[in-house]
Amino acid sequence: MPGALDGVRILDLSWGIAGPLGVLLLAEQGADVIKVEPPGGDPFRAYDGYRVWNRSRRSLTVDLKSDRGRDVFERLLRTADVIVESFRPGVMDRLGFGYETVHAAHPRVVYLSCPAYPDGHRFAQRPGYDALVQASSGQMWEQPGWRTGPIFLHMPMPSMGAFYLISTGVLAALLAREETGRGQHVTTSLFAGAMLYTTQIWQHVEKSKAQLHELMGKSYPPGIHQTMIFECADGWVHASIMSGLTPTKSQDAILGLDDAPDPFAFMALPADEREKFNAKRREKFKQWKRDDIVAAFQEHNHAIEAIITPDEQFEHPQLIANGMVKTVVDPVVGETTQIGTPLHMFGTPTAIQGPQPTPGEHNEEILKELGL
Amino acid sequence: MTLALQGVRLIDFGQYLAGPFGPMILGDLGAEIIKVEPVTGDGMRLATKPFFGCQRGKRDIALNVKDPRGLAIALELVRTADVVHHNMTAGVATKLGIDYQACKQVKPDIVYCNTWAYGLEGPLARFGGLDPLYQASSGLEHESAAVHEGNVPLYYRFGMCDASNAMLSVVAVLGALYHRKRTGEGQEVWTSLFDGGAIFTSDAHLVGGVPAPRPHLDKELMGVSATYRLYRTQDDDWICIAAITDDEFRRLCTVLGVDELVDEPRFATGASRSEHRRQLETIFEARFRTKTARFWTRTLDDAGVPNEVPVDTQGGEAPLFDSDNVELGLVARYAHPLLGEMRQFGELIDFSETPGRVAGPPPLVGQNTRAVLHELGHRDPEIDALIADGVCYEPDDHYAERFAN
Repeated sequence: MPGALDGVRILDLSWGIAGPLGVLLLAEQGADVIKVEPPGGDPFRAYDGYRVWNRSRRSLTVDLKSDRGRDVFERLLRTADVIVESFRPGVMDRLGFGYETVHAAHPRVVYLSCPAYPDGHRFAQRPGYDALVQASSGQMWEQPGWRTGPIFLHMPMPSMGAFYLISTGVLAALLAREETGRGQHVTTSLFAGAMLYTTQIWQHVEKSKAQLHELMGKSYPPGIHQTMIFECADGWVHASIMSGLTPTKSQDAILGLDDAPDPFAFMALPADEREKFNAKRREKFKQWKRDDIVAAFQEHNHAIEAIITPDEQFEHPQLIANGMVKTVVDPVVGETTQIGTPLHMFGTPTAIQGPQPTPGEHNEEILKELGL
Repeated sequence: MTLALQGVRLIDFGQYLAGPFGPMILGDLGAEIIKVEPVTGDGMRLATKPFFGCQRGKRDIALNVKDPRGLAIALELVRTADVVHHNMTAGVATKLGIDYQACKQVKPDIVYCNTWAYGLEGPLARFGGLDPLYQASSGLEHESAAVHEGNVPLYYRFGMCDASNAMLSVVAVLGALYHRKRTGEGQEVWTSLFDGGAIFTSDAHLVGGVPAPRPHLDKELMGVSATYRLYRTQDDDWICIAAITDDEFRRLCTVLGVDELVDEPRFATGASRSEHRRQLETIFEARFRTKTARFWTRTLDDAGVPNEVPVDTQGGEAPLFDSDNVELGLVARYAHPLLGEMRQFGELIDFSETPGRVAGPPPLVGQNTRAVLHELGHRDPEIDALIADGVCYEPDDHYAERFAN
């Protein structure tokens, strides 16, 4: 069965995380993606994880600053439905492939730009590495940690928001094109990607009911969820009472704490009283092995997960059940285990289309298709 | 035509966060979102901020779907719709009579999306769950705190796994709508919080069964290398630098007055700087301490070294009142009937031909019950009876006693 985007051709000029990963969700719905990269390859290829984010596409190396390169790209444009690029505002114009130029010649092409900052913002010409956008967007200050001050987020959160905005923007514009027959300029940014993940915490409400609002405020230690992290004999777990499940035995009873308060009444206690009881809980958790307490809690319908390393995910039975553990034979390093595609679509199945290409791996094939 | 998703109608049976957030984003793109809310209210309303963050721009009908008359109305709505979307746990939609088969029967080309906690099948499929569990299962909490350095795991307070699940559902629904536009076929799709967490650590992979190298945080949670991290400056302020290339490293050394480091073999390449990360950091830490953050950012800018002074959001207020953010539409403002002006992030994607819009504030419980029922052809006496029998609800004089917002 073909994917939902069967027959849609995307030219991916983007570097970094957001562009390649945003395009990945489209490639694995069956779009024909050509990664257009400079001779020598996209500089981000040096990062190991890039081979996951860059899979399911072909590679064409072309020097857009040369006449021959521009000619090849111009021919490629005639076959394209979508362009995705992530340069600073103005760079594509200087290369001669800005939106206006491309749109005039190829009005059906959907042209997506994802710079670090939106054009017109005072930051627009600032350098746009992910960590710098974490800093400028306020995400670093927003995250409490084990010391005061801003915290460096290990997860590249602005990019991890922007990639969804890229997939979403391209698809919405393709849908609109079915009505209008025309492509358009779709723009988003890493900065917008950072804002996407503020949805639960950045709210201004003129007449807010303070006590409820304050619960979501930044605090030390950081928040109610943080208090549900416990150390076991051989690792850590995150247990939660707020899962909507109906437990068959209380967490405290499983732990062997018989003087435990009702869990929801407990949440309403002052912090120091909670802490007094939590100290007892911590002692009990330490007597359990991580995987044993996870099994015991799940048996009684409690939401709990072991706090594992990213590499341990591949052994998680649910990740396997979701079809999310895949073997991909990479052209450079050989057999790899990667996550699968998280879009589960019964009518138009998604699938990994292939490993990351080496730079220029498909030059000959693509040039031949173009009649060159 | 003015909106990308003009004419698309979505029925949102979801509650809490990972269900409703996706429809909100589709609403911003122009879809009409009808939230079908229990007459007792969405369970998340009490939490205010997270609730508001996932509900703007929707119309709202309060309906007891467990009542046969309520179910009949729900299916009448589905018959008028293009998409059905919710985050009920396994079996609930079937029990209620609004699973894919039931919806397909009344609307053969429906696009049906369930956002699960874990997934459709598998050992934990019947479990519910919430964002923190998937920060744990994906490895985020391990990496976020540098647990390998002896720290306690750290929960990211953004609730991104909820949002990730919702955004996956947006992408799946849009793909399915595109397929439907081209072929006339609807379909069932699903996503999960669990997979939504996994994508955040998707750079992790095994090569021949062995974990591929990934950068890790230091014990102080400053960054992932000596040249891509935070530094404390004079007066306990902060600066974040990103000196990635050899050239940027050279210029950084000049600005910091440690030119001699450039010629040292242990710092000559990116790889050798990684190997001697701690030594380099110790030197840089001392240098950055000697001047203010403002001094360093000016000087680094002049030298062409990427850097930023972290912005203190003051609880999120600063970005929502930032003039550039407001002017560029990155901040949405709307008036709530009870709570006055609200602000949140605005349109995060710009479309040159089919601009999006924020259709309005989060709705009250049942705010549009009567209007939606009228559209379905129901008349006032019948609607009054449904309300009197508790099958439907619309805001009345006792609203404020009954609901938080």
